[in-house]
Amino acid sequence: MNERQKHIRNFSIIAHIDHGKSTLADRILEATQTLTKREMEEQVLDNMDLERERGITIKARAVKLDYTAPDGEEYVLNLIDTPGHVDFNYEVSRSLNACEGALLVVDATQGIEAQTLANAYLAVDANLEIVPVINKIDLPSADIQRCRDEIEDIIGIEAQECPAVSAKTGLNIQSVLDAVVELIPAPTGDESKPLKALLFDSYYDSYLGVVVYVKIIDGSLKVGDKIKMMSAGQTYDVVDVGTMEPFGLKSCGELHSGEVGYFTASIKSVGDTRIGDTITLVDNPTSEALPGFKAAQPMVYAGIYPADGSRYGDLRDALEKLKLNDAALTFEPETSIALGFGFRCGFLGLLHMEIIEERLEREFNLDLITTAPSVIYRVKKRNGEEVMVDNPSNYPSPDEIEAAYEPLVKASIITPTEYVGGLMDLCQDRRGIFIDMKYIDTTRVELHYKLPLNEIIYDFFDALKSRSRGYASLDYELDEYNKSDLVKLDFLLNGEQVDALSFIVHEEKAYARARRIAEKLKENIPRQLFEVPIQAAIGSKIIARETVKAMRKDVLAKCYGGDITRKKKLLEKQKEGKKKMRQLGSVQVSPEAFMAVLKLDDND
Amino acid sequence: MTMIDFIKNNDKSPSFLGIYIHIPFCRTKCLYCDFCSFVSRSDGEREEYVSALLKEIEARGTKEYLVDTIYFGGGTPSLLSSKQIGRILSALRENFVVCEDVEITLECNPMISKRDVEEAVPYGDGLDLRDVEDVAPYGVEGYFAQLRRIGVNRLSIGIQSAIDSELKLIGRRHTFEEAKRTFFAARESGFENISVDLMFGIPSQTMESLEISLRQFISLGAEHISIYSLQLEEGTPLYRLQDRYIIPDDDVVASMYENVVSLMKEAGYSHYEISNFAKEDRESRHNSKYWRLDEYLGLGVAAHSDFGGKRLENTKDMAKYLSGECVENELVIGESEREFEFLMLGLRTSEGISKSEFLHRFGIDFDVKYGEKVKKLEKMGYFWQNDDRIALNERGFEVSNMILAQILDFDY
Repeated sequence: MNERQKHIRNFSIIAHIDHGKSTLADRILEATQTLTKREMEEQVLDNMDLERERGITIKARAVKLDYTAPDGEEYVLNLIDTPGHVDFNYEVSRSLNACEGALLVVDATQGIEAQTLANAYLAVDANLEIVPVINKIDLPSADIQRCRDEIEDIIGIEAQECPAVSAKTGLNIQSVLDAVVELIPAPTGDESKPLKALLFDSYYDSYLGVVVYVKIIDGSLKVGDKIKMMSAGQTYDVVDVGTMEPFGLKSCGELHSGEVGYFTASIKSVGDTRIGDTITLVDNPTSEALPGFKAAQPMVYAGIYPADGSRYGDLRDALEKLKLNDAALTFEPETSIALGFGFRCGFLGLLHMEIIEERLEREFNLDLITTAPSVIYRVKKRNGEEVMVDNPSNYPSPDEIEAAYEPLVKASIITPTEYVGGLMDLCQDRRGIFIDMKYIDTTRVELHYKLPLNEIIYDFFDALKSRSRGYASLDYELDEYNKSDLVKLDFLLNGEQVDALSFIVHEEKAYARARRIAEKLKENIPRQLFEVPIQAAIGSKIIARETVKAMRKDVLAKCYGGDITRKKKLLEKQKEGKKKMRQLGSVQVSPEAFMAVLKLDDND
Repeated sequence: MTMIDFIKNNDKSPSFLGIYIHIPFCRTKCLYCDFCSFVSRSDGEREEYVSALLKEIEARGTKEYLVDTIYFGGGTPSLLSSKQIGRILSALRENFVVCEDVEITLECNPMISKRDVEEAVPYGDGLDLRDVEDVAPYGVEGYFAQLRRIGVNRLSIGIQSAIDSELKLIGRRHTFEEAKRTFFAARESGFENISVDLMFGIPSQTMESLEISLRQFISLGAEHISIYSLQLEEGTPLYRLQDRYIIPDDDVVASMYENVVSLMKEAGYSHYEISNFAKEDRESRHNSKYWRLDEYLGLGVAAHSDFGGKRLENTKDMAKYLSGECVENELVIGESEREFEFLMLGLRTSEGISKSEFLHRFGIDFDVKYGEKVKKLEKMGYFWQNDDRIALNERGFEVSNMILAQILDFDY
């Protein structure tokens, strides 16, 4: 290994949400003098507004820091930030593969949580040196020793000597930098071998095209190289190569083994840059791609429609723009009788879905109607055909179905012991299959369940939080498909089926869910000029019904003193509301009412 | 010949004009009131306003029109002295051409207290009393007699309810007994055309209590009864306090309305507009102008006009008004907006709109443009129509906003 390489440290910070990952990153940036406090924008790494607001990292980011150790040695530290949510596990694992070590941040007041464990396991899988960092020691309820013991007992890594810091106040930050230099190994690649680089992130820039973040494992990459993406198969000419400085990209012409940087190559869409792909040279290729590559696979689907039908084109443009930067987002045009033209969108998970919805509404100023999220069901038909169904409207009719299968997840829940009963009830209620329960210590328990994904996406997380007063944490990964007694529940307004309200549900749950949604519909559908029967049906069998009585009265205002403007405004308001109304058969329903029906909570 | 007959016989003549005079003072503000009114503290304040009003009348006077209705609304116009009202009427007669059989309506508080009358007929404060010959005995009767003498021939008394506890809840400061006394004092003083207001959907009201009120009102023998539902307007005290009251829900209010309509019919009143009922030939001529898109000029603070093809709005700012800045907003109403207004207002009346008039006015075949939508609603039982006229029926009146929102063309 050459001298240059010996002075590189590539590392990530991993943590459960809110344990202080971003704050620690900020302090490291400060401490390496990369940024002075004054220059610093809070949480430089989280660039997106949404990220800053939610305090989570959505996309991976990387930054190169120049650090002079107390002994005078100069180091290059590449800090690779990772998304901190289960939806983005694959992205996390790829980012971790670009590193040799990880700082595992644990909140001294909370101890280990579900995502602490999940992330630690990902780091172990990636063969990283894990350096625990105990954070928030300035808080009165901090229990540093308990944290050290937990880390040793549960994860099995040495933690008695690990840094204990307050990222908020800056206390003991130097000990973190010392640990990075001393404990995290330098990258081991061989510069003389053919180029082998890991693509761990990319984003679209309207001037540069796609900017690709890479870790050079072996060999080197320079401007003018003809490269090949090994899984995607395309080849490109490298236009620019450089490093990610805290304030932006900086060209350097060439990257060498062990280094982390970026390149551009006139790539048009992030869809062409698959995270986890291996990059090599066309003329002198590496013999073997890096292991572990997976194409992005959406797990959750929902129909997204513009509240104002005339903005369909805007919605399409917006989705296309988001797609430029989000290879995991998929969308296909779909038509609903009730909602008009929209898109069936695929997401990595619920958070991913929420983020896309919020970005569409915020950055593109769209009002949306989103149907209930759905998973992909596998249906074996009597005629031998097998179909994958991501839209309840396409679910085969009961007499065509031989067997139906739904995806399960392996869920891990960490909770204080007093909530175990309630959470086990919840999992039971959500058709969970108990696997095991482990005591982390005398106060906390780790529960393992197999749960149908369609129960998870049905407000499971909110229910979990409300039943544990916010203390329980959840992590899950996709498991197998299981045969299941599924039915498609349809809703009829005034005798006409509203396709956008249909969903797939387990037979046992169908009656309760049908009644609840029928009640919600009754509450939320404004009274019309005629009586509106609401029916819930499985096939042709009606299993619940409600009625919205006809409207009988609206305001009998006095046209006072010839001031007809009030009346005009009132009617205009009514009309304005009507414009947004969706015609569900012969019934008009506002987008708000529609969304209210789909948003059910645990208390319903 | 009444003006209604006149209008009927002569089609619509653009040379007629209604005048609305806004008197924005009240003793106290009712809890539901969202209209432009100020709690009047002093007689000087009112006098200053009357002077400004006289100036506006002079400035906006025109002899091009025949004034056939004058309406004093408020606020509480009866807070003015008969002398002040007399001066306003004189000014109108000087600056406009006023018909001989003009309808002059004055809105009147059901409780004209002794204090009101004493304040209203100020003695020895330097006012010229030449044209008020008989101010004695300064009682309510005397006040009404003066009003009759200066030409006021119609009163509109805001009684609202016959149940005192209901009156109290909405911030009215009179009892039904007092209102009755005022009503009969007006009769005694020679008013043959009196309208009273009845409100439904008010806090604590029930079907039964409303019926009691209505029967009381009918037994007063009023020529005209306006019956409208309470509206909770944002910004009013009642709106803020609504959770503290038991306010009848929409279904009850709808039943109240239905009951009111049938009782009024039984009592011999015609339901000529959504919230107005009249004995034969006693329809409000002035208010009918609003519904027919006839021209009217609104004078005073916050008054609205539909005049010379424009809708005008006077300033709501009293200080501005007193300094002589009257009209604040001028809106030229285009052809299609007129069409919208024509339907919106015409469909408030039981005679509805005439398709031939519609064609004449806008050059549009009503059936071609609206027939489809109307037919659907007619099938649901909300309209009636004959060869020429189309109107909402009683059921349609109840949900008129919803119906209008469905059929009207808002792209004006």
